[in-house]
Amino acid sequence: MSLCMNRLSEERKQWRRDHPFGFFAKPARNSAGMMDLKKWEVGVPGKEKTIWEGGLFKLEVTFPEEYPTKPPKCKFTPPLFHPNVYPSGTVCLSILNEEEAWKPAITIKDILLGIQSLLDEPNPESPAQADAFNLFKKDKVAYEKKIKAIVKENPAP
Amino acid sequence: MATGRDKHAGKSLGSNLHARIKQARVLMVGAGGIGCELLKNLVLTGFGEIHIVDLDTIDLSNLNRQFLFRNEHIKKSKALVAKESAGRFNPNVKIEAYHDNIKDPRFNVAWFSKFDIVFNALDNLEARRHVNKMCLAADVPLIESGTTGFNGQVQVIQKGKTQCYDCTPKEAPKSFPVCTIRSTPSQPIHCIVWAKSYLFTEIFGTSEDDAPELDHSEDSENRKEIENLRNESQALKRIRGTMGSEEFPKLVFDKVFKEDIERLRSMEDMWKTRKAPTALDFEDLLKALPSVEKNIASKDQTAWTVTENFAVFLHSLRRLSDRMEESKASGDTGNSPPILSFDKDDEDTLDFVAASANLRSIIFGIEGRSKFDIKQMAGNIIPAIATTNAMTASICVLQAFKVMRAVIAKDELSAKLNDAQLTGSSKESSKADAKAEQVEVKPDEAFSQKLSKAKMVFLAPNGTERRLTTEGLSSPNASCPVCSVAQSTIVVDASRATLNDLVENLLRLQLGYGEEFSINSEAGLLYDPEEDANLNKTFAELGLNNDASITVIDDAEEGARVNLVLHISEQPMESEARPIDLTQKPEIPLKPKAATPPAETNGDWRPIVTNGLTNGATNGATNGIKRTADEAGFEEELVKKKGKVAAKPDDDFVIVDDANDGIIVLDDD
Repeated sequence: MSLCMNRLSEERKQWRRDHPFGFFAKPARNSAGMMDLKKWEVGVPGKEKTIWEGGLFKLEVTFPEEYPTKPPKCKFTPPLFHPNVYPSGTVCLSILNEEEAWKPAITIKDILLGIQSLLDEPNPESPAQADAFNLFKKDKVAYEKKIKAIVKENPAP
Repeated sequence: MATGRDKHAGKSLGSNLHARIKQARVLMVGAGGIGCELLKNLVLTGFGEIHIVDLDTIDLSNLNRQFLFRNEHIKKSKALVAKESAGRFNPNVKIEAYHDNIKDPRFNVAWFSKFDIVFNALDNLEARRHVNKMCLAADVPLIESGTTGFNGQVQVIQKGKTQCYDCTPKEAPKSFPVCTIRSTPSQPIHCIVWAKSYLFTEIFGTSEDDAPELDHSEDSENRKEIENLRNESQALKRIRGTMGSEEFPKLVFDKVFKEDIERLRSMEDMWKTRKAPTALDFEDLLKALPSVEKNIASKDQTAWTVTENFAVFLHSLRRLSDRMEESKASGDTGNSPPILSFDKDDEDTLDFVAASANLRSIIFGIEGRSKFDIKQMAGNIIPAIATTNAMTASICVLQAFKVMRAVIAKDELSAKLNDAQLTGSSKESSKADAKAEQVEVKPDEAFSQKLSKAKMVFLAPNGTERRLTTEGLSSPNASCPVCSVAQSTIVVDASRATLNDLVENLLRLQLGYGEEFSINSEAGLLYDPEEDANLNKTFAELGLNNDASITVIDDAEEGARVNLVLHISEQPMESEARPIDLTQKPEIPLKPKAATPPAETNGDWRPIVTNGLTNGATNGATNGIKRTADEAGFEEELVKKKGKVAAKPDDDFVIVDDANDGIIVLDDD
C-alpha cells in the first residue's frame, strides 16, 4: 500500500471518529461502485454569526499520488461566487499551496476548517474571480445581499 | 575451471564468489542509461542468467549514452537490442529479454522469486515503487540506482534487514499553485507551465473541466451566477469550437492576451505590491508582422522579440489547427474529438508553447526565454551523462558482490547445519549437536553480518570534497507502510467467496480482528466500519483476481497490529470446501507505538537526486520509531564491524573510497 493510500486511510479513520459539527466528508464512489480514497465529496457549512450562516457548500477534494508531500486540490461544485474561488470552482488558499503554507501534517479537518474561515474572510491579496472580487471591494452592501441569496440557495439540512 | 575469458574475474573475485556468480540468475529492470552500462558489466562479470525488462523503444536522443544501441536500432525494443548487443560480449551468459511493462501481471511474485538479485535501472518513481514492492513480497534483494547529471546513488534493499525504497519520503517534482499560474506569474517557468498545461490543453487537449457537472441549483437566483462563472471558465472551449475559421487565431489571442489580462488588471488590490500586467493588441502586432524573418522559429538560441513571438504563435497555431482538422476529417479518432498532446520533440507544439509563454512573460514584465531553454523546461529534460551512468552501474555490481557473499555465507551454514544434523543422527549425535550449537553462527545472522558490508553509495560532482561517499545501510523504518507489513497468501474460489467471507470468517474468526479495520484494494476501499456496500459481492465481482493483493489496516484503538497484505491465489475448489482460506497463518506484530501520526516530511531532506527524484535522508525525515538494534539484529552488527574489518587476518582487501573510515574494504573469501 502506498504512502498516499495509507495516509488517506488514516484520514478517513480520524474523520470517522471525530469531525466538526455540520461538516461532511466521504470518499466518492468510482464507476465500479467502490469508494475511491483519492477523491472525496465534502460539505463546508457557513460559520455562525456571519453572512454565510445557514449555508452548506459542497466541494470535491482530489488527492494526487504524491499526497501528503503535495496538497489536495479543492473545488467547489458548482463553482462559488467568492473572491478567492476561481471560475472553475478551484479554491485559492495558502494552506493548499505547496509553495506557501502546505505541510504534510495538515489534515482534511484542517483544510475544511480553513475553507470555512475563508468564506467570511476573503483574502484581497489573491483574487481569483473578478466579479465577486470587485463587488466585494466596491459595494459591500450589494455583496452581502448576494451572499445571503447564495446561502438561501445552498441551505444546510 | 576458469577459462581464458573469465580468468581475471575469477582471480579478483575469488573462486567461491566467482563460481556462485556463474550460477546466478538476475533481473535487470530498465535498459536505458544505467541499464546499458549495467548489462555490459553483468555480462562481462559472467552472471549466468540475466533477464531484462523494458517497455521502451530506442530513440535518436538515447544514442549519445546508451552504447548498446546504434542508429539502425532506432524504434526497436530496448530490451531486445540490448540482449543482442551485449550477448555478443560473452557467449557463456544466457540473456532473456522482455519488451514489456514490469507492472504486467505475468511478472508476478512467483516470477520475481526466481531471481537471486534484482537490479533497478529505472527512470521513474512509479516503476521503482512497484519493483520495490514485488522484491519485498518475493524476499529477493534489490539493488536500486539512479542518476541526475553528475549525481548518482546506489542503495541495497533487503526485506526485513534494510530500509526499503519507501522507508524514506521521496520529494515529488515541483508543481505550481493555481494562483501563481493563472493570475500572478513572476518567473519564466510560471508562464511556460501556463502555456503547456493550461493554454495548450484547453485548445488542443482534454480540458480538466470537460466532465459535465451536475447543477444542483436549477431554477434558482444563484443559477445565473454559476452560469457566469462557468461561462468564464469555458470561454476558451467555445473559442476552440471555431477552430479552422478565419477569426480563430484572433479570438484565442484576444481572449488570453487581452481580455483575461484586462480582467486581472481590474482587480486593483492585486497590483499594489506587484507590477500590473499590460495587455497586448492583435492589430498593432499584425502591422509589425512583415518585419519578422521567415525562419525565426528555427532560431532557438536567443529570446525572440514580441513581434517574433507573435509570428511564431500565429504560425504554430495554424499548423496545429490544420493537424486537428485533418485528423477530424480522416475520422482516425472515431466519435471522440481529436486531441493533441504536448511533446518537446514535436516542433509545432514546442513552437506554440514557447511563443505563448513568452508573450505572457512580456505581458507580466518577465524576461523571455529562448526556444531551446523552453524545450528543456517544458520537457522536464533531466541531464544525463554517460560517465555518471557508467560509474553508478559499476557500483551496482560491486554492491551485488556483497549481497552474493551474504547469500553464500547463509547457504554454506545452512548446508553445514544440515550435514551436522544428518551425520549427528548416525554417530556421536550429542557431540555433533553441541558443536553445531557452540561454534556455528545461525545462517540468518551470518547473512546479516555479511550484508552489513553493503553500503548506500552516493556519487557527487567534481569539485565536491569527495566524489564517492557512503553510508551504512539503515534498519527498516518500523512505520513504513510498504515494508513494515505482515504478508500472507490466501487461496480463493473467486466465483464463490464473498467479501463477507473474508471479513467474518477469515479476518474476524481465524485472525482475531475486532470491529475496527478497513480493507483496501488497488481499485479502492472495499470495507470499513462505515462501508458495507460490497460485503455480498464475490471476489470475481470485485475484480480481485489471481495475483491481486489487498491490504487490511487494523484500526483498533488498543493493540492495533501492523498492516496485513494478502496476496490472492485463485484456485478452483470443491463446492463443499471453504471458498477462502489461508495457506499459512501469518504472524502479525503490533504496530510500533507513537507512530500513528502520519509520516511528516519537512525541510531537512538531503537533496540526493535520482533521475529528478530526490531521495530523503535516512535521518530526521521520518518520525517513526526505528526498530532497536536488537530487534533488527543489524545495526548493531554494523557498529561492531566498523573499524574492525581490517583486523580480520584471512581477508584480501580491495580498497576504495569511504567517507566514514577512510577506506571501505571489499573483503574476499
